[in-house]
Amino acid sequence: MADKEATVYVVDLGESMADCHNGRDESDLDFAMRYVWDKISATVAASRKTWTVGLVGLNTEETDNAQDREGLEGYENISVLQDIGPMTMSSLRDVRSLIQPSHSYGGDAISAVVVALSMIEAFTKKLKYKRRIILVTNGESPIDDESLEDVASRLNHSNIELVVIGVDFDDPDYGFKEEDKSRAKACRAKNEKILRKLVEQCGNGVFGTMAQAVEELAIPRIKPVRPFKAYDGALTLGDPSKYPSALSIHVERYFKTKRAMPPPASTVVVNTEHGGLSQSQTLDEEDTEMGGIGFSGVKQMRTYRVNDPDAPGGKRDVEFEDLAKGYQYGRTVVPFSESDLPITKLETKKVFTILGFVPFSSYQPFINLGETGIIVAQKLNEEAELALSALIHALHELESYAVARYVQKDGAQPQILLLKPNPALEEEFECLYDVPLPFAEDVRSYQFPPLDKVLTVTGSVIKEHRLLPSQDLNQAMSDFVDAMDLSGYDEDEDGKPVEYAPIDETYNPTIHRINQAIRARAVDPEAPIGPPAEILLRFSKPHEKIIDRAKPEIEALIDAAKIKKVPAKAQGRRGRKEPVKPLSGLDIDALLGETKRATAISADNAVPEFKQMLATAADDATVERAAKQMGEIVRKLVRDSFADLFYARAAENLRVMRDQLIGLEVPGLYNGFLKGLKKSLLSGELNGDRREMWFRYVLGAHLGLITQDESEVSDVTADQAKEVCRADVSVYVEECRLTAG
Amino acid sequence: MAWGGDEDRRPEDEGEEELDEVDYKTQKDAVLFAIDVNESMLVQPPTTHSKKAEKDSPIAAALKCAYQFMQQRIIAQPKDMMGILLFGTDKSRFRDEIGGRGGTGYPHCYLFTDLDVPAAEDVKCLKLLVEEGEDPDEVLVPAKEPAAMANVLFCANQVFTTNAANFGSRRLFIITDNDNPHGNDKTAKSSAAVRAKDLYDLGVAIELFPISQGGKKFDVSKFYDDIIYRDPAAEAGSLDELKTSKAGDGLSLLNSLISNINSKQTPKRAYFSNLQFELAPNLTISIKGYMPLHRQHPARICYVWLGGEQPQLAQSETIKVDSETRTVDKSEVTKAYKFGGEYIHFKPEEAALLKNLGSKGLRLIGFKPRSLLPTWASVKKSIFIFPSEEHYVGSTRVFSALWQKLLAADKVGIAWFIARDNVNPVMVAIIPSRTPDEEASETPFLPAGLWLYPLPFADDVRNVELSAPPRPADELTDKMREIVQNLQLPRAMYNPQKYPNPSLQWHYKVLQAMALDEDVPEALDDATMPKYKQIEKRVGGYLGEWKEALADKAGALMKNRAVKREAEDDDAPAAKRAKPAAKAAGSQMSNAQLKQALEQDTLKKMTVAQLRDVLASKGVSAVGKKADLLEKLEQWIEENV
Repeated sequence: MADKEATVYVVDLGESMADCHNGRDESDLDFAMRYVWDKISATVAASRKTWTVGLVGLNTEETDNAQDREGLEGYENISVLQDIGPMTMSSLRDVRSLIQPSHSYGGDAISAVVVALSMIEAFTKKLKYKRRIILVTNGESPIDDESLEDVASRLNHSNIELVVIGVDFDDPDYGFKEEDKSRAKACRAKNEKILRKLVEQCGNGVFGTMAQAVEELAIPRIKPVRPFKAYDGALTLGDPSKYPSALSIHVERYFKTKRAMPPPASTVVVNTEHGGLSQSQTLDEEDTEMGGIGFSGVKQMRTYRVNDPDAPGGKRDVEFEDLAKGYQYGRTVVPFSESDLPITKLETKKVFTILGFVPFSSYQPFINLGETGIIVAQKLNEEAELALSALIHALHELESYAVARYVQKDGAQPQILLLKPNPALEEEFECLYDVPLPFAEDVRSYQFPPLDKVLTVTGSVIKEHRLLPSQDLNQAMSDFVDAMDLSGYDEDEDGKPVEYAPIDETYNPTIHRINQAIRARAVDPEAPIGPPAEILLRFSKPHEKIIDRAKPEIEALIDAAKIKKVPAKAQGRRGRKEPVKPLSGLDIDALLGETKRATAISADNAVPEFKQMLATAADDATVERAAKQMGEIVRKLVRDSFADLFYARAAENLRVMRDQLIGLEVPGLYNGFLKGLKKSLLSGELNGDRREMWFRYVLGAHLGLITQDESEVSDVTADQAKEVCRADVSVYVEECRLTAG
Repeated sequence: MAWGGDEDRRPEDEGEEELDEVDYKTQKDAVLFAIDVNESMLVQPPTTHSKKAEKDSPIAAALKCAYQFMQQRIIAQPKDMMGILLFGTDKSRFRDEIGGRGGTGYPHCYLFTDLDVPAAEDVKCLKLLVEEGEDPDEVLVPAKEPAAMANVLFCANQVFTTNAANFGSRRLFIITDNDNPHGNDKTAKSSAAVRAKDLYDLGVAIELFPISQGGKKFDVSKFYDDIIYRDPAAEAGSLDELKTSKAGDGLSLLNSLISNINSKQTPKRAYFSNLQFELAPNLTISIKGYMPLHRQHPARICYVWLGGEQPQLAQSETIKVDSETRTVDKSEVTKAYKFGGEYIHFKPEEAALLKNLGSKGLRLIGFKPRSLLPTWASVKKSIFIFPSEEHYVGSTRVFSALWQKLLAADKVGIAWFIARDNVNPVMVAIIPSRTPDEEASETPFLPAGLWLYPLPFADDVRNVELSAPPRPADELTDKMREIVQNLQLPRAMYNPQKYPNPSLQWHYKVLQAMALDEDVPEALDDATMPKYKQIEKRVGGYLGEWKEALADKAGALMKNRAVKREAEDDDAPAAKRAKPAAKAAGSQMSNAQLKQALEQDTLKKMTVAQLRDVLASKGVSAVGKKADLLEKLEQWIEENV
């Protein structure tokens, strides 16, 4: 809250910064600016008026600084590029254009630090600020070290942190040493030493090499969140209002885990008067106000309609103010007056009370339904501290959890929480963790066959079967699981095993991918999006070392598993399989044959009869006849449909027709029919306006033309099919708009 | 509150994890109950004085089941349909055609409730029949001759074809005690078999709920084996056991039937199908995913138009407008991020690129002992996975081997998981669940298989500053152990089925009463309330002793600390000691000090910084002017100290 910041970046823009060194294909300046831009854009992102930034150029062609104006010597080729002030997108754009390598050199880095120092002193006066100077340079222009100590003491006096990040500076801690310093002018190694000395004399200084700084940029920064107290009150056992013996411990509950979300995207529209869509907006000085340039936010407007047989189209708009609130009970709508609304809400009192205890062994983590809380005793309350501690230790010793009813505040919905003891044994702190448990309604009973045996039709149990693992496979799996163990993947300095992929090393790739891309685009709107940082995808596949180590076990498992991939074509193929039979094995097809129904498909029983006709079709002519009859039924359903009454049924018939004809590899029959149907639907020849059938029930349900992707023998490409739909939709939308208003 | 394919009611926590259109058939379920009305179904059990004696005739039990099913459906699956068809009745009715004997196309079939999302009226009719035994139309009178099963099946066929044409799941529940409706009549049997095949081709699954009475076995081979097909979508090797409902073993016929039907309440819908599970390079199997655990919430408020004859739901449509309230087309809008007071924009294809962090799938990166899973590492519900042979033959045996090994070695897998295209990746632990009927099973209410348990990212972990605990008080701990040991939950486990959600139950109880024009209930039987009386009886004595001991220990600790504090204060310069208590850093003040300050009216001497500090430490928003802050603090003290 109160932490105001003033940071001045001193950037070396000297001639030599334009060169590439040490095998990099970007200039020293670009390399260094990766670090600076990242820092500055993080400040911009925070949008805090009290976080201020200034910028000083070293080795600029011009000279523009207060010291030089006062006539002091040694301040040549140093320019103040931006005075200290809040950083916005527009100032970021201004500054960007100024960061260009010059053709000069000879500016003194220490003098530039003095310029920055004076700026900070003048700006922050005696107020409470976090003050910082960040100097980036390759150290090639000469430095005068005479006043080193004065500068250091002045920095210390003003409580300014000095950060010097040098391109290709040596850093033994990081493990960087430039072997060949000869590229630099003789003074380079000397300069490096001077700067290091300066930092060492500062009470608060950092000296580092750029390679490390840039590398660390990829490490995601986690946004710190203030702990939020969700509950402050009694944790009870028994009812203290009724029984004097009942237990009541004053506790506080915080979140331990809370899912972090990616930054929300706003829906915007391109302002037409500002011209076309561009990623970078050139700034129009008068138009710098919020909302951005070229884009404006989009609002949602809700309209309400009800069925009205008298209105054109069967529907009419109603005003929101004229609507009552209500709930649906099945398909019945139950209106509630405003005063009645709260009665469906259960009246609850804030409470946190234990129902009973269960052993560790009766619980599985996968029944958790959400985020974890942390429960501690109220601060400076001896009774609560001791009481909670005793509960935690007792639970731990008995290997038990407590189950509690939790109502966060009056009127809130009750939850059932499982309380897990976390005694201070190895760790420094003691608490209960809690996780939400499911209610009866949250569990759906799904049945699955057993995994360790196969039941036959007659009810006997088989233990050896192609669906069950053989002895060999079980052994191979066991070896594989043990070989791929991550708990001792590495060792630390003390020889203790180090776990692979602990939670504090796994960063949410979605959040950081977007944040990094936003910052990059803010700095350089024209640059394309790079690939995701490696660290974000680190755990997307097993570590090579682990795979290498487990190679024999993996190969043995592959051999024992004998997995066969089903060819793509066989998956989609229905029909033409062995005939379907009921459980008794009755030859149903023979029965069907006797009934002689197979000459004409009845509209009532269209789907089964169509399928049965195709299943027994001996020649193409029968298939064609079946498709034709089915098509007629679809058309008739649409023609006879009052409004959309039969659309769903027609669409279902279409779907079956489509599936079956794909299976029989005659997509042409469907495509031919569909083209005709489309014409009929859109032209109104099927008894009225049937466009909804086409757009919602055919295209909306993906019942369009069968493409080559779906059936190799189709002569329609995916693009062709898409093209047809897209053109139509825009026409439809346009027409809707016309009819609407 | 609905789940699965129901897009507009999707819980917000899933944000973008929308179902894609893998299966474009409407993901809805329609269930038609077909209940046999014959003489033996109507027989009342003999009346005895035993409490456990059977009270319901089979038909009453079947109707009660249907009634409960309907109520549950309204709560849990508000968009799914159900209907009730009685067969073998003397009367016949199909939609608007009402006829006596053979008056309709489906003689002795009585469509009691047409297939639809249940309305209050449907619930009322059924309730009258079930609870009051009111049968004004005499529908529960059996016909002299049995109904032709072919007719029953074709009637069901028509009900599904017209009312639930494109539903993803359609099921016919047949409840009967007659295992041989057609005796030796071969023609009748054959035509029933043909109509059953029609239903199969239509995509309707038949579920049989046989009732056995008087120890007579229900023999499916006599008739029903010709009617029932294996579910083509079921897992390989799966063969649903046919469970016959009967009274006995302390279980009434009703309970037995309810439990059998409840297991089929929700159609098994996959959250994803045929996902690739890569165990190692070049070793991939395919899996399906399910959500057996999912938080249910009361339905959202809707808006009602009362201007017509009947209250009518107003359909809402949203349109997007720009700053000048001009309607904007979908193609015009794009996404942008607010950054430094401006919008940072990405082209749609760039936005897609940003979202793409790999293709969907589950990829194993290794295994860990279960003990390395921190107890606090929980963020959201888990997904259940089960093998599928469709794309990789042999998936089931490999999956089974992995499941057995993880159980035996008490290990978990660690994997990278993307459920669907464009869904954000997560890290998961793969945890096995035991076979439900196994003695050692922790979760008899859940199936056996593997669970994908989402792990928090570093970003999701909050740092809460915790103080060092006081010395453990062994005596208190020992006493507390006795209390814990004496208050185990029944069967020493948490079984969610015993704890209905009170908010949800209350919401629908009131709603049902309003919808049916009944009196609003006064109170709810809330199973999540502790049994205070029992607690008092079982551990009241221990608790009393324990509290005394606690008071002693706490007193000693307090004194101890006071001595220490004084010692510290002595070291401090004298001037500091003279400062008023309120000048201590806000968060350092104990509640007693705050209360004292409130009583002595010295709170206002605190500085704004101190007020903010103390408010923040109490979890109260510390925004506002000094007067506001003071007011907030006073309120807090009054409420909490």
